[in-house]
Amino acid sequence: MKWAILSGLVGNLTAYEAVLQDVQQHQVDELYILGDLVGPNATSEALVKRLQNPRKGEPTPQICTGWWEEQCLILHAYGQKPEPTALIEKYGAEMVKTLWDAVSRETVTWIRSLEFGFMELDCLLTHGSSVSVADDLRPDTSPLVMCDRLGRLDANYLFCGRSGLQFNYQIADGSSTSTVITLNGATPTTTMETSNKFVVGVGNVGLTPNLASYTVYSPASGQVNFKQVSYGFGKGFGNRKAS
Amino acid sequence: MKIAVMSCIHGNYEALNAVLSDIDDHKAEQIFCLGDLVGYGPHPNAVVEMIRSLDIPTCQGCWDEDIVEGLNACDCSYPSLLAESRGKAAHAWTDQQIHPETREYLAQLPLTIKEKNMSFVHGSPNGQHEYLLPDVNAFTALERVLSTGSNVLFCGHTHVPYVRTLDQTKMLVKVEQQGQKDAHYQFTPSVRRIVNAGSVGEPRHGRPHATYVLYDTDDQLVTIREIEYDYQKTCADIIEKGLPPIFAWRLAQGLEFAERADDPSHVCER
Repeated sequence: MKWAILSGLVGNLTAYEAVLQDVQQHQVDELYILGDLVGPNATSEALVKRLQNPRKGEPTPQICTGWWEEQCLILHAYGQKPEPTALIEKYGAEMVKTLWDAVSRETVTWIRSLEFGFMELDCLLTHGSSVSVADDLRPDTSPLVMCDRLGRLDANYLFCGRSGLQFNYQIADGSSTSTVITLNGATPTTTMETSNKFVVGVGNVGLTPNLASYTVYSPASGQVNFKQVSYGFGKGFGNRKAS
Repeated sequence: MKIAVMSCIHGNYEALNAVLSDIDDHKAEQIFCLGDLVGYGPHPNAVVEMIRSLDIPTCQGCWDEDIVEGLNACDCSYPSLLAESRGKAAHAWTDQQIHPETREYLAQLPLTIKEKNMSFVHGSPNGQHEYLLPDVNAFTALERVLSTGSNVLFCGHTHVPYVRTLDQTKMLVKVEQQGQKDAHYQFTPSVRRIVNAGSVGEPRHGRPHATYVLYDTDDQLVTIREIEYDYQKTCADIIEKGLPPIFAWRLAQGLEFAERADDPSHVCER
């Protein structure tokens, strides 16, 4: 069994087509897209239509919401927050209108139906983390934060896309000793152990010009393969590098 | 320097007075309060006035937030449907009783107070509603302390005091990143502590006495204090004011929720 895991399309239909061709060469069983389908651009609508209508023989993508989708929901008063504060802080007030114009109400209604993430086997697949779509897990994030995000859903693997980076972060081994004192005295000291927990950044399809990245995962072996695909004029649609 | 930390007073003026006397006897130089000044108990205004008059640095608790924001602000504070219905009754009574200046005071309380290498919160650094129980996963507990940047995290909310020392933590991390050299390192944070101050006004450790903690910043010694007071006077006031009598009963027992067994599987998703 193989899963292809994508994120960060941000309306880049050309990049998605290139990745889709590459994915089909790897005979994947499932295609997961971990959010950020849309972005503040004119091609987001076309990309969403493409995702909604896979062609014959193509895998049907399982899609969850990302940071940009959450901003759309907030703009259309479907979000949990009343104001697009994060959007304005990151991109300025003019981005509110740009995004409003880029993503139709019909698409936002469809976005509402998307999942926050997927729990398959011992794997959590989501845009940010078990905390929120905005949670930005990176190669330099504290292992305690990684443990917390994994532990909230008792997962051994967390696949995420918020950072746009490709990385495989392994907590190979860990232990911590606890002593608790209550009104009834001290309880016996305990040691908690953990091992082989993974957080995988799956890369981004549409953020980097002419270079898309995604991840192939084999649940049976635990093998994580990072894929990069060159696309665009003069680049071909070939696989640039695989590891 | 000796400090006193108290939490979860819940409108119990008798208990607060007893604890303040004990703090005075122990010559603590500074008092911190971790919120939940109101709710369940019969004297919410008097408790707030006392805390304000003594200028005690105080965090906002979940009950304080609910009184300001409305009950829907609560993620989930009830272990059963029956507990929820009684909690709502207490909320409605408290909401009706408190003075505008009390509400204004509760509204401006900070979620976190930081003092040197100590942080003070009601539930956890993640919010007023998260319970840091003494047996929560050690890595999770450590993450909560480290997220504050402090060595000692004081919290309340569970109504049962404890001191948890997290020591000898080691984590071996391996990171592969596209375009970067593989990284291997060991993460070894120094010892950290979580100190739960228990509850002044609604104890749940099996006895009716108030609890709080003393902390010596010089030798890091924590002392959990259990203070006897006239809880029967508070019980009588609860009944006289028309609050649900179960609150008087459980205060007299020092129990968490008498009705817990009614629906132990309930998880409020409000």
